[in-house]
Amino acid sequence: MSAATPRRTGEWPLTLPSMVWLAVLVLVPALIVFTVAFKPGDPYGGVGAGWTLDGLRGLARESYLAIGWRTIYLSLLTTALCLLLATPMAYFMARVRQRWRRTLLLLVVVPFWTSFLVRIFAWKVLLHPEGPLKRVLAALHIVSADATLLYNPGAVLLVMVYTSLPFAILPIYAAAEKFDFGLLEAARDLGARSLHAFWSVFMPGIRRGLASAALLVFIPSLGSYIIPDIVGGPSGEMIGNVIAQRVFSDRNLPHASALSALLTLVVLAPMLAALVLRSRRDEVAPRRAGPR
Amino acid sequence: MKGSRFPLLVTAAVIAFFYLPILVLVVNSFNASRFGSTWQGWSLHWYARLAAEREVWAALRITLIVAVSATAASAVLGTTAALAIHRYATRLQRLHSVLISVPLVMPEILVGMSLLLFFATIGLELGIFSIFLAHVTFSLSFVAMVVLGRLQGFDESLLEAARDLGASWWTTTWRVLLPMLAPGIATGALLAFTLSIDDFVITFFVAGPGATTLPIRIYSMIKHGSPPLISALSTLLLVVTFVAVWLSQRLMERRG
Amino acid sequence: MRLAAVASGAMLACTGCRARESELHVYTWADYFKPEVVARFETQERCRVVIDTFDSNEAMYAKLRAGASGYDVITPSSYMVQVMNRQGMLLALDHTRLPNLVHVDREILRVTIDREMGHSVPYMLTITGLAYLRDRVPDFKPTWAMLDRSDLAGRMTMLNDMRETIGAALKFLGYSLNSTDEGELAKARDVVVRWKRNLAKFENEQYKTGLASGEFLLVHGYSGDILQVQKENREIVFAVPEEGASFACDDLVIRKNAPNVALAYRFINYLHEPAVAAENTEFLSYLCPNLASYPLLSEAVRANPALFPSAEVRARCEVIVDLGSANALYTRVWDAIKTAP
Repeated sequence: MSAATPRRTGEWPLTLPSMVWLAVLVLVPALIVFTVAFKPGDPYGGVGAGWTLDGLRGLARESYLAIGWRTIYLSLLTTALCLLLATPMAYFMARVRQRWRRTLLLLVVVPFWTSFLVRIFAWKVLLHPEGPLKRVLAALHIVSADATLLYNPGAVLLVMVYTSLPFAILPIYAAAEKFDFGLLEAARDLGARSLHAFWSVFMPGIRRGLASAALLVFIPSLGSYIIPDIVGGPSGEMIGNVIAQRVFSDRNLPHASALSALLTLVVLAPMLAALVLRSRRDEVAPRRAGPR
Repeated sequence: MKGSRFPLLVTAAVIAFFYLPILVLVVNSFNASRFGSTWQGWSLHWYARLAAEREVWAALRITLIVAVSATAASAVLGTTAALAIHRYATRLQRLHSVLISVPLVMPEILVGMSLLLFFATIGLELGIFSIFLAHVTFSLSFVAMVVLGRLQGFDESLLEAARDLGASWWTTTWRVLLPMLAPGIATGALLAFTLSIDDFVITFFVAGPGATTLPIRIYSMIKHGSPPLISALSTLLLVVTFVAVWLSQRLMERRG
Repeated sequence: MRLAAVASGAMLACTGCRARESELHVYTWADYFKPEVVARFETQERCRVVIDTFDSNEAMYAKLRAGASGYDVITPSSYMVQVMNRQGMLLALDHTRLPNLVHVDREILRVTIDREMGHSVPYMLTITGLAYLRDRVPDFKPTWAMLDRSDLAGRMTMLNDMRETIGAALKFLGYSLNSTDEGELAKARDVVVRWKRNLAKFENEQYKTGLASGEFLLVHGYSGDILQVQKENREIVFAVPEEGASFACDDLVIRKNAPNVALAYRFINYLHEPAVAAENTEFLSYLCPNLASYPLLSEAVRANPALFPSAEVRARCEVIVDLGSANALYTRVWDAIKTAP
């Protein structure tokens, strides 16, 4: 961007289309969700007239605490596992030759391009109680012959990591690619041990990638609904399942809205934190045009 | 320790982990057994059955209609958004970019839920159009993000040269910037297309009569269909994806 | 790119103007009509039948309330028909356009709610019960207490249906499955929470393929579904628990303001042609209550106690009725069940 401020007359026509679209189809619906949370439901599944705090009171149910905690816990665990696996991978991928880099990227991304449902279904087939994997594990006495690998929180965690890993690998890889590995060499020349150099030079160097990866995995995981639905059992339900059940089975829209509103607030918190941190960083070193 | 084999091993293990279930699916699609849990011999029966499943092909047609139209609309909206955010550093644009980033991280169930309530409030009948609106909404943010990334690494000197030669902003943008940005827009559009074809949760909330997309059909098949049939469909989708990726790689190599 | 935008806009506009006179939109359970039967209707009437499916009455109802209005014929369960009728969602049926209604079994009409067929026509009857794999569960007893068997833990499922599952617990305890007594419901809730520990899932559709493939060993399900997969796996046995179960009827209804009322009438009339009813019965293994079709059924079907239950079994079974505002009691219990650890 040139130092002189460009003419402002072009700003509105460029900005309006997308802003209006998003305002109408993202902001307004979100407001409606918050509004419906304060309305009563009628027994036949619609939204009644007037206002009430019943929706909010319904949130104070003890059982929601358990599910909410399970949702946060599983999402945190998924994020941790994804970061743990993605970082060495990104390190490796950023250091190999260009030729291999493209192949590796493709290998990572292509499964992600297959249908999301199909990938979850594939795990359902793989973890079938009469399937080959279970039989191999039973033969090795790792699991008992009667055990089920499916329909428990472990299966949910496994499939969540499986579907979220590409979202962790790509941003960390993007950051690692820009990282100057000469710094690592320098650190080692100065006597630092490899692991120490990795921890105190590499990791901070890719911290923006790590932060993006964490957000891209954690927040969508909070709203997971299909994975617990297909491979989770009655004790693997997450908040997303409850919301879907309220909307489709219980026909209780105000309750569903109250839960959605709560989930929205929980989701906004990390996002706002990230935005605040980024703008604070930009204040210290203002964004400049051209290469850094 | 990082000079060790550890990163390589992790990479190999993760890639094996990625492809293991897919391999099982592909093999299972040739399983003669109806339930796919035990192997009962090779068979192409499921592919034949798949060809006759009218509902699947109807769903594919609807999916493609929505995907093409949503991609076109979100490519336009996403590009204009990215251009605006990149070019102007005003408070309006800061608000604009926050707005753009919201659909990127919102859990799909929240997006689906809010859109369902919105359509019910304004009285829009659920159908293909409601799916189209939903898909454009989340796709445009992705396109904007990709194009913005391209713009930020952009070499401004060509544009400045054009302006120095007296070209108006409009001419500069239309005849210099956009053509150079075309690969970025194409990448964003491809991403939008992929997201639209594969979307389940949001579509499930806002779909109406006769608007069953392929993911919704697949979900219904998972619930009550025969596993090898779904495996056959999945294998076909995989083959198409691989071919598309290979083709696009070849095209890009030829360009670059 | 501009061309693509214009083209897709045109395509979108055109999907709105498809020829509605020759399309029938049906919203129904999965696999609920024999495909050949539907195909013959299409050829006969020179139309296209578009079938969308739902897997629970509540989900279907929620979709309709949220604005999905393009359906002509729907097949809700009787209690849901009650709800929909109270909401004015159904067309009052003109019997002169449905001559085949004379064939409907009057005995069955006594257990349906809409006895005069004023807005619904019975389509398929079912009993819920337990099904198991004979070779994996050798000591089966026809009682709901089987769900307490911890040796089968992780290999059993129950229906993901509030009324059916709470109803099973109510029957197990000796109460009516239409009970609105809070004490009885609380006890039923505790029973289901206890059973839940042994369950793999709450499932409405996958249980039949799961049972046939050996994924599950004992399931709570509908007689028709179970009989269908019996053909795939000879070890499957269906039994009605001795404490009693639920007896349900799914009805054909026409949506008020349906796009194609004429075709909807013809479809319903077609389904009650005796030969067609017999075909559907044989295919689905549910019972279409069309008296004239019974002689056309095969011996095996007519002798099947799941389709033609004895009087004593029928005495123990109840029909689920809609409880109006008392539904909230059940929702709260179901909620507590779903969220209990």
